[in-house]
Amino acid sequence: MLRRVNRIFARRSAVVGGILVGSVVVLAVLAPWIAGDPTTPHIDQGLSALGGPLPPSSGMWLGTDDLGRDEWARVVTGGRISLFVATLATLAAVVIGTGVGVAAGLAGPRTDGALMRFVDLVLAFPALLLAILLAALLRESSFAGSLAPVVLTLVLVSWTTTARVVRTRAAALARSEAVRAARALGATPWRIATRHVLPGVGSVALALAAVTFAQMLLVEAALSYVGLGPPPPAATWGRMLYEGRAYYRSAPWLIAAPGVAILVSVIGFNLLAGGLRARGERR
Amino acid sequence: MTRATSVLCALLTACGSAGTDPRWRPTGERTPRPGGTLHLAMEFSVSSLDPLVAADEVMLYFTHALFDTLVTYEPSNPDVPTAGLAFRPGLATAWTISDDGLVYTFTLRPGLVYSDGTPVAAADFVWTLDRQLQKPGSALGAMLLDIAGAREVVAGTAPHASGLVVPAPDTLEIHLARPNAALLGILAMPAATPQPVGHDPDRRAPLGTGPYMLERWDEGERVVLRRNPRHRDAAHVYLETLDFLENVPRDLQFLKFQRGEIDTAEHLEAPDALWLDAQPAWARYVRTGETLQSYGSRMNVTVKPFDDVRVRQALNYALDKSHSVRLLQGAGVEAHGILPPTLPGFNPALAPYPHDPAKARALLAAAGYPDGFDTDYVVMANDEALRLAASLQADLAEVGVRVHVRSEAFATFLPELMSRTGPPFAKATFGFDFPDAADAFDLQFGTAGIADEGASNLSFYSNPTLDALLATARAERDPAARAALYRQAETIVYDDAVWLWDYHQKAVEVVQPYVANYQPHPVWIRDYSHTWLDLGPDGEPVPRGAP
Repeated sequence: MLRRVNRIFARRSAVVGGILVGSVVVLAVLAPWIAGDPTTPHIDQGLSALGGPLPPSSGMWLGTDDLGRDEWARVVTGGRISLFVATLATLAAVVIGTGVGVAAGLAGPRTDGALMRFVDLVLAFPALLLAILLAALLRESSFAGSLAPVVLTLVLVSWTTTARVVRTRAAALARSEAVRAARALGATPWRIATRHVLPGVGSVALALAAVTFAQMLLVEAALSYVGLGPPPPAATWGRMLYEGRAYYRSAPWLIAAPGVAILVSVIGFNLLAGGLRARGERR
Repeated sequence: MTRATSVLCALLTACGSAGTDPRWRPTGERTPRPGGTLHLAMEFSVSSLDPLVAADEVMLYFTHALFDTLVTYEPSNPDVPTAGLAFRPGLATAWTISDDGLVYTFTLRPGLVYSDGTPVAAADFVWTLDRQLQKPGSALGAMLLDIAGAREVVAGTAPHASGLVVPAPDTLEIHLARPNAALLGILAMPAATPQPVGHDPDRRAPLGTGPYMLERWDEGERVVLRRNPRHRDAAHVYLETLDFLENVPRDLQFLKFQRGEIDTAEHLEAPDALWLDAQPAWARYVRTGETLQSYGSRMNVTVKPFDDVRVRQALNYALDKSHSVRLLQGAGVEAHGILPPTLPGFNPALAPYPHDPAKARALLAAAGYPDGFDTDYVVMANDEALRLAASLQADLAEVGVRVHVRSEAFATFLPELMSRTGPPFAKATFGFDFPDAADAFDLQFGTAGIADEGASNLSFYSNPTLDALLATARAERDPAARAALYRQAETIVYDDAVWLWDYHQKAVEVVQPYVANYQPHPVWIRDYSHTWLDLGPDGEPVPRGAP
């Protein structure tokens, strides 16, 4: 009975997660067509007589921010940047993490130990502190004006979880009869990794990717919140939260809009991840 | 209405009003009540309380409370914008100025003592002013160069300025080599406060003549001042202690204010100012005052493209100053120059450069930049400066100038701003040391203010005509004629668009209902010397609902 409930829930959660993620992605992709200019201040029309943000209205249905910019345009366009950054970082993190995990799982105890101790080292450092340090250092570099520092920071702090989980699965697979047989038949390590181990860890990696993606969104928001995200006037959800934080009483829509966007996306990706994992386990 | 809904309504109303309206009320008492502690908070921490050090913005919280001067200023008045700028006797009861403007004679108030009981003598002023001249890089020393013999002291060829004379123990004479009509203002600066002869000022143990003295200083945490019972006007100083918390961010200050942990909140952040404006119950506790602060952007006129006056004028036409004022919640006025409207010399005939993008584009084209140009723009890292920078960025983008905003911490921002090799285009502020046009013009636009590092002339602007005019104005004793000269000077720097003129900010503070007789002061900014607490008979604030 319990198993059945779990299965239904797993299937449902994947669907609900997929719908949530899908709608966020669709809105972000369509941003240039469904929303106006998110970056140009509109001091004359976009602010109250006293220079305050305008509340939601029929014209601007999420109101305006402290520079008179359309909040709807900023949330939707901000989603573009936030999702793009998170996608890029997740792809890189999962590829690196899977590579390291499979290598450690298949290699001898010495390589395995070295790789895993390095993972421990990175994991031992509080992720957010490491991210702040890296982002601050990278900001001094020549590509400081681009998204590169943020993406790089996110990748560097996030590949370790994937590496750890994939390594466990890969090590289990390495002891499996199929891999032993392949080895006995003289298959190269590369062939064993690509033909026998990678397909086995694929579902785990996919589920991890969804979780990592949700984490990336949050870390990006945190980085932007402490002023180390993509440079202004670019809108990202984290930066919008940061810029709106002080208006929580006089203009609560400034934190509600990006807050709900982050919430919906993170829940969506987590549900998706749960569903994918359950599906992978059934197989 | 059912009982349940009425209870719900009552609850909602209670929640809605809790923490939004003032929690206390004044008792209506008119006679000042002595005693009590005023709790305050400030954004930064103070680095030194040595009066001979040039006061930075943080030190200004304390200088007026700790250090009295020969001449001082009248109190401010919310109903009179220019109130607070006229001189009043301080440590000197009277002064005379010779007809040629070269000899100032001050008569000291009888019975003056420092907070430790040491008597104040006229020789103390001589000793202190000599010290300022001897100190390399002293801001006050640089303003005292018109005193006879001062240049020799600065050069190190004499230990003492011959123009500082003590004919009698209670008389100080200052002989000038050249007339300087701004001398009284210079002597009213806190750095001109006397120190006993031979006393070596300690940054942690200030010795002063002001209404308060230092009681305790936990560096980086709190500064506590106690009433100085030996002050010349101690009977009219009411608060027993002033308790300053250091390093409290502005938004947190406002939260503390609302919780009743501090008694005033100043320089409100935009969200707090907006929130406050929506609360009519607070309106009578908001204190607004004029300041002597001018804001704009410096352009290094020796660096391309800002070396071309047409480019500088174009930027002045491109910026919509009304946007800046609106982003300050109206707590400012549009500027056409560096002089606030309350100062003599302010030229009412000049209007701020109108917002005229077409004209700006034409000027840029004439200067050889038909497609505009790219430039960095450096501001200090705070929400207000960044908001204003975003508005400037958009206004200038409209005429093709692509501005890249960069923000920096105060510690690195200021030295860069004062360096010839610093960012050519950056936000600049001028806070007056004393309410006189000479202060701004000599420091900001005079050739003497130019240096490779530590320049006070932030635009590196040098104009012999203006220098000559400023020298004439410095010597002119007739106030009306002097104001006319500064109006001319204003026109010159206006036409040359030496800064990107922006706005003059007003001080907006809010106080707890029981804080009586407190009003921001244009020169001192904070003046608690006659403030008192209108508390109930038990010494506690009276709750708002209490009879």
